[in-house]
Amino acid sequence: MNFKNILKEIEQTDPEVYEKLSTRRGALKSFGSKAALAALPLALGSLFNKAYGKTTATSGVVTALNVILEMEYFEYNFYHTGNNTGGLIPSADAAGFTTIENHQKEHILLLNSVITALGGTPFTPHYYSATAYNPLFVPAAYDFTAGATYTTFDDYATFLVLAQVFEDTAVHAYKGQIGNLLGNTSALTQAFQMQSAEGRHAAHVRLIRRNLNAADNPAPWITNRVPPAPTNTAQPDSQFQPFYVNEDNVVQLDNIAITSLTDSYSSTGTVPVVSATAAFDEGYTSAQITTLLQPFML
Amino acid sequence: MKIVNTPGNEQVEEVDKVYDVSRRRFFQLAGGIAGAGVLLAACRRTPPSNFYVGSGDVGLINYLNVIEQVQAGFYIQAVLTPYYGLNVSESTCLTDTRDQAIAIRDYWNTIGGTSAIGTIVTDWTQVTFADRSSMLSNAMFLADLAVSAYNGTAQLFQDTDYILTAAKIATVQARRSAYMRDLLSYNSFAATVSTSGLDSIASPTSVMASLAPYIQTKFDVSKLPSF
Repeated sequence: MNFKNILKEIEQTDPEVYEKLSTRRGALKSFGSKAALAALPLALGSLFNKAYGKTTATSGVVTALNVILEMEYFEYNFYHTGNNTGGLIPSADAAGFTTIENHQKEHILLLNSVITALGGTPFTPHYYSATAYNPLFVPAAYDFTAGATYTTFDDYATFLVLAQVFEDTAVHAYKGQIGNLLGNTSALTQAFQMQSAEGRHAAHVRLIRRNLNAADNPAPWITNRVPPAPTNTAQPDSQFQPFYVNEDNVVQLDNIAITSLTDSYSSTGTVPVVSATAAFDEGYTSAQITTLLQPFML
Repeated sequence: MKIVNTPGNEQVEEVDKVYDVSRRRFFQLAGGIAGAGVLLAACRRTPPSNFYVGSGDVGLINYLNVIEQVQAGFYIQAVLTPYYGLNVSESTCLTDTRDQAIAIRDYWNTIGGTSAIGTIVTDWTQVTFADRSSMLSNAMFLADLAVSAYNGTAQLFQDTDYILTAAKIATVQARRSAYMRDLLSYNSFAATVSTSGLDSIASPTSVMASLAPYIQTKFDVSKLPSF
C-alpha cells in the first residue's frame, strides 16, 4: 500500500482534498513515521470519514427534523396558553412573548413543509386534529403544570422559570440534531437559523428574570450548569438540574480546556469558569430531551 | 517618550508616533478611568498589509478568529471605558461577555495552530464607548453579524466537528445579541428573525466587508470559502 499514491489518486478526483483534510494535519504528519504504519488502515478510515462523512440518509434527516418539530409544538403550546391567560404576563412583556409564540408557530410551519418536501411525515402531537380551529394548539397533549407541581399559568415568576427551562432545552435539542442533519445542507442551515432564534428567546426570558431579581440571578446565557431557582421553596433546586446537565463542560473540540486559555483581563489570568461554560451551549440527544419533557406530556 | 498626566491623575507613558488619529477623543473618553491598558490599546502601530485568511476549513477558522478578535477587543475597551449610566447588572454581564469573547477568540486561535491568523489591529473611531447608545448599537451590530456569520459556516465547513462546534457558539452569539438589543430597545431581542422564523445568515466575504470599519488590518480573502 502506497499512501502517497492513494492521496494522489484522490487529489485528481477531488482537487480540494487537502483543504478538506488540512485540519487533520497532525494525523497526516503521523503517517510519515514507521510506527504509525500499523495503525494506518484504521486511521485512514477515520480521516476520510471526517472529510467525506456528510452523508446522512434522508430518513435520518427527517427523524432529526421531527425531533425539533416535537420541541417546537411543545413550546408553541406553552406560549399560546400563557399569552391567552388573562393577567399572567405584564403588558410591558406582552409584545416579547407574542414574538416568541409567533416564532414557534413559524418554525412548526417551516419544519412541516421541509419534512413533507423530503417525503417524510411531519410529527403531530397526541390528540392532534387537522380540522381543529387551530390545529397547532393541542391542549390535551400537554400538562405544563406537571401534575399540579407548578403553578405555571397562575404565577408570572413560575411561568418565567419554565419558559427559561424550555427555551434552554430547545437550544439543547437543536444542537443535539445538528449532527444528524449534515447530509442535507439546506436543512442544516435552516436548523442553525432556527436555533439562533431560540437562543434569542432564552436570553430574553433570562433577562426578564434577572431584572425581576430572581434568586439565581440568571445571565442571558447559561453559566456553569446553574438551573433557575424555584419560586416555591417546597420545590428543590435539583428539580431543574437535569435540564442543565453537562452545561458545565469546559473541554471543547480537540480537547481544548477553555478555562486554561489565557485571559489577561481576568483576576486569575485565565478564562473564568463562568465565562468558559457560558461561551458554549451544549447539545442533548433526542432521548435526553424526551426524558426531560416527559413530566409535561399527557 | 514623554509622560502625560491623564484626568484620572495616573501617570502613563505616551508612545511616540501614535497611530490613532482620534487620540483627543480617546482621552476624553478615558477621563477618570484611564489605565495603561487602554492607552496601549489605542496606540497600536500601522498594521502589516493583507493578512492572508487562508482557504478551506483553515480559512473559515481564521475568519471566525477575526470576528472574535474584533468582539474581544470591543468588550475589553467597553469594560475599560464604560458608558455613563452603567449599572451593576450591566457591568457584570459586559465583563462576562468580554471573557466569553476572549475565550472563543483564543479557542479558534488554538484550533488554528500554526495556521492561525495573526493579531489584527482594531479601529474604534466610530464607537463612542462612553455613550450608552453608541456602545450598545455597535455591540448589537457586531453580535448580529457574528450570528449571521456562524449560521453561514454550517454549509461551508468540511470537517463536521467544526460544524458542531460552530453550532455550540452560534446560540451564545444569539444570546449576546438579544441582550444588547434588549438593553438598547426592550423587546427587540429577535428583530433579526424573519417572518418564516429564520434568523439572519451572511456569507464570509460580506461579513468581512461589514467588519472592515472596525479593523485597520487589511485582509486577503481571495481563497476564503464563501457563497
